[in-house]
Amino acid sequence: MLELNGVSVAIAGVPVLRNVSLTVPAGGRVALIGRNGAGKTTTLRTLMGLVTAGSGRVMIHGEDETRLPSHHRTRHGIGYAPEDRRLFGSFTVEDNMLLPAQVLRLDPSEINRRIERVYALLPELKDLAPRKAAGLSGGQGKMVALGRALMVGTRAVLLDEPFQGLAPALALRYAEALKRLRAALPDVAILITESNPELLRPLVEQTYVIERGEIGAS
Amino acid sequence: MAEWFQDNGLLLGLALLDGLSSAGLIFLVAVGLNLVFGVLRIINVAHGSLYAIGAYSAASIGIFLSGRGLPDWASIPTLILSAALVGAILGPIIERLLLRRIYAQEEVVQLLVTFALFMILEDVQKLLWGVQPIHHDTAMRWLGTIDVPFGADFIPFTNYQLFVLPGIAIVTLVGLAWFLRRTLTGRVIVAVTTDREAATAMGIDAAKVFLLTFTFGAMLAALGGALSSPTAALVPGIGAQTIVLSFAVVATAGLGQIEGAALTSLMMGLGRSIAVYFEPELEVVVPYIIMVLVLLVRPQGLFGVIETRRV
Repeated sequence: MLELNGVSVAIAGVPVLRNVSLTVPAGGRVALIGRNGAGKTTTLRTLMGLVTAGSGRVMIHGEDETRLPSHHRTRHGIGYAPEDRRLFGSFTVEDNMLLPAQVLRLDPSEINRRIERVYALLPELKDLAPRKAAGLSGGQGKMVALGRALMVGTRAVLLDEPFQGLAPALALRYAEALKRLRAALPDVAILITESNPELLRPLVEQTYVIERGEIGAS
Repeated sequence: MAEWFQDNGLLLGLALLDGLSSAGLIFLVAVGLNLVFGVLRIINVAHGSLYAIGAYSAASIGIFLSGRGLPDWASIPTLILSAALVGAILGPIIERLLLRRIYAQEEVVQLLVTFALFMILEDVQKLLWGVQPIHHDTAMRWLGTIDVPFGADFIPFTNYQLFVLPGIAIVTLVGLAWFLRRTLTGRVIVAVTTDREAATAMGIDAAKVFLLTFTFGAMLAALGGALSSPTAALVPGIGAQTIVLSFAVVATAGLGQIEGAALTSLMMGLGRSIAVYFEPELEVVVPYIIMVLVLLVRPQGLFGVIETRRV
């Protein structure tokens, strides 16, 4: 349902992705493994439409959406948790998570149902809800970014290096949350990037390895 | 010190009352500039032109309607509606036709383009309204004056300057703060100001927010101009004066702080009128002295937060 088809991307003239093809099937759990600078983030950003593919196609639910503006992604049920979290610091944690759902003009009862679901999956967010996002630790911020992605990611969530920089205890909690997610929302596909292939092995069914902008065999 | 206050306390009081109206006007213009810069990240030099065109248009519309029997009481709503009209027409035209093409450009190019627009609009004003002073003060005369006691005497202040201008500024301040924090559209604007790309990934159409914010900012600039029009004769050059002062306010307050812009406008307005009463030759430089002193101590502005630039 999410597919990159021979995608090449250059940023400021420098090729970052070369002929990348990958598929995230509906409900699939896919890892994208690579070192720093290999092109993991750019791959997710291309799926999100935040960078435009120079060649190749971005397919979403079987449609060619290569030129679709980025802000239409949430309408297709795609949630995104960027590597550096990118929360809105002056908003509370709850307002951060509500925003993408409110922008979609979802019914208040539906928004309420979704936020309760997020709290059920990530109970620590319930305690953080009234706090300003600017005051969170990096690890807490990653949890909030996951919660925010889940508010609109009814079909897929793209998680960019969620374990990067997490304290071991928090990383464990995050991994447990992903397992709960898998059980609770089996239809939601997950594409997750990481530099350490061992970490994700128990969480995913399929692994792509990216090196210097090219997807290799896994 | 105590002796000075004994001698000059009353005069200082008058200066403060005088400063309120100019603080209110400065705030309206500066807060619009601040909002536009926060969202579009463009320093809009032509913001001053929108102020001037707002002033001229309000005067012209007022003169036209008064000649056709508009009752005096309606002149204040007319000022506000004229400003809304100017912003609603010019805002989208400027954003769609000009600014949209330069968002990806370097800051220098953006500055030059809005400066060019400012120069063009200055000449357009001269073409449309000529260079003779234009005066239309029905709104101010209709409200009359209030006598402020000054020792054994009374000094008449216009109710318009003493109450209407600061009142509208306060309503704008409170309304804007409420709008940005409590409404979805307001929060979307804050989100785009904070992080445009993250906002886009959350489903926000940044192009739409740019258009909306710029139009709104244009309306605020025009409102400042329109409300100032009854208080003084309009002459070429008012746009330049205003934009420079608004830049000083935005730089002093720091980016993105509505309340900060209000407090700074108050400081500048009061500082200027105190100068008028006590050291008139300093009037023009007082705002910039305040700005320099603040920036020496806090380069990010009084209320600004230091931003780390993402690479």
